[in-house]
Amino acid sequence: MTAATIMLTNPTVLKPTDLISTAARCIMEHRYRSVPVVDEDGCYMGMFGVNCLLRQVLPKAAIMEDGLENVSFIHETLADLHERLREVEDEPVTVCMNTEVETLPPDTPLIKTLLLLYRTKTSIPVVETGTCKLLGMISYWDVGRHILSA
Amino acid sequence: MHPTHEAQVIFGIDPTLYAGVLFVLTYVLIITERMNRAIISLSAACLMILGGVLTQEAAFEGVDFNTLGLLTGMMVIVGITKNSGVFQYLAIWSAKKVNADPWGILVMLVVVTAVLSALLDNVTTVLLIAPVTLLITDALKISAYPYLFAEIFASNIGGTATLIGDPPNIMIGSAVGLSFNDFLFNLAPITLIILPLTMIPIYLIWGRRLDSAPKYREKVMAYREQDAITDTRLLKQSLFVIALVLVGFTLGHQYHLQPATVAMSGAALLLVLNNFPLNSKEQSKTVHKTFCEVEWVTIFFFIGLFIVVYGLETTGLLEMLAHRVIELTGGDLAVTAIAIMWVSAVASAVVDNIPFVATMIPLIENMTETFGGTEQLMPVWWSLALGSCLGGNGSLIGASANLIVAGFAEREGQPIRFLPFMLAAFPLMLMSILVSSVYLYLRYL
Repeated sequence: MTAATIMLTNPTVLKPTDLISTAARCIMEHRYRSVPVVDEDGCYMGMFGVNCLLRQVLPKAAIMEDGLENVSFIHETLADLHERLREVEDEPVTVCMNTEVETLPPDTPLIKTLLLLYRTKTSIPVVETGTCKLLGMISYWDVGRHILSA
Repeated sequence: MHPTHEAQVIFGIDPTLYAGVLFVLTYVLIITERMNRAIISLSAACLMILGGVLTQEAAFEGVDFNTLGLLTGMMVIVGITKNSGVFQYLAIWSAKKVNADPWGILVMLVVVTAVLSALLDNVTTVLLIAPVTLLITDALKISAYPYLFAEIFASNIGGTATLIGDPPNIMIGSAVGLSFNDFLFNLAPITLIILPLTMIPIYLIWGRRLDSAPKYREKVMAYREQDAITDTRLLKQSLFVIALVLVGFTLGHQYHLQPATVAMSGAALLLVLNNFPLNSKEQSKTVHKTFCEVEWVTIFFFIGLFIVVYGLETTGLLEMLAHRVIELTGGDLAVTAIAIMWVSAVASAVVDNIPFVATMIPLIENMTETFGGTEQLMPVWWSLALGSCLGGNGSLIGASANLIVAGFAEREGQPIRFLPFMLAAFPLMLMSILVSSVYLYLRYL
């Protein structure tokens, strides 16, 4: 068994030109935690997810390296956060996608795949060896479904 | 500190040549920043011993444990204190005191940074103040650049004012046996002149154009500074210990208490108070976390550097250089003092001021006889302190605090570039040196 066996082929993807507002609607409607961003040649570029949206509404000074640890003195309303999100909603998803999510080649052994899923706590893109082509995604739900139906 | 060890001939190589080449190589490697500075200095220190310039015992004689103890003790105290949130409290409180007026905030943050830098180390100060600055400027929808620029200056000028404010002062104080009060009475007055003077060009370049809409200022006014305090008990303990340490620094000298003893005693007391109510497992965790706050890279950098400079000193090369400097200045105290200040300032703007000061200390010690004794040499020591501390403002690489602030600016998406910073900072730094030269001349020469 390998990563290719348990991955979901043809997952929902975003284009690099998609706006943050479009991407936000997509992940909210389908309750996705993250969606891969893929260019027109099918090349994997990064992941856009709820964390990207949270990053947009939180003060930069709090999320940056060595930033503020205690932010309990900031009292902002939901309207303030929405306003902050509106400031970036017309930007493309590429400005805040996560390019550091670990990817796996399709021939990765099952246990190694599960261990990475356990450690990274996020869906893992499966990318063709030697190219950047996205072949599928591995999520908790797909893995759980495969294990239970075995 | 004068060497008691005599360098041996190494494989037929003149020890002066060996130590000199090793010292120059160390400097070059530190400047190029191709490798971590602690690795460079420790490797060079080992080569000083392995090459036979120093024995291990002699190398340890060269390490200034008073400087190391003072640095480490203060790092522990600050590492514990910062968890109370008091520094964020001060920054927010000061911003609200001026009704979130952008220029008023800049002035207040400069004052807070300068005062904290005088009492703590500069790096810690900017690490704590810069994120709050970015939060405030983000809320006000204004550029953070003038604030960060001004804070760099404030941290280096504030650090100049006291014995514990900047590593060069700690090193000079320890080598010459100067007290906290010596620095306070001799250097603090000039920093009180330089800081407001520096604010004038900052106002003319950026300050007069700083503006923010009332709705954004209201956001800052809505911050509740009391909520920044995360641990009231820790806050009380920390303030109590810091007050005791400051009293120790002020009065300790007359009771022959070295600054390292005062700082380490404060650190030990705060560790006791902080860990007293915890069980042994929790204590291990807290103590481990506290010691992680100590900048071990800096401490090991110092250890290696002290050994390298001591090795060089044993060969007599620094004494030769000292005589050469005296020849160049015609043996005139005023010319020597002013020259050392300007050379230190320019050098500290382009190279790390720690190795520079470590080299200059034995060099200046060798001038004692020429100028008629320790007391007569004092203006030269103040020159070195002023030049090396204020010189750090000359470029982005002039002081560690500058690079920390630049890192924050980069992460905020408003990078501070080397050349534009230097174009504004270098003339400002020269102005501060000019003012210091006048001060030195009028007061001591």
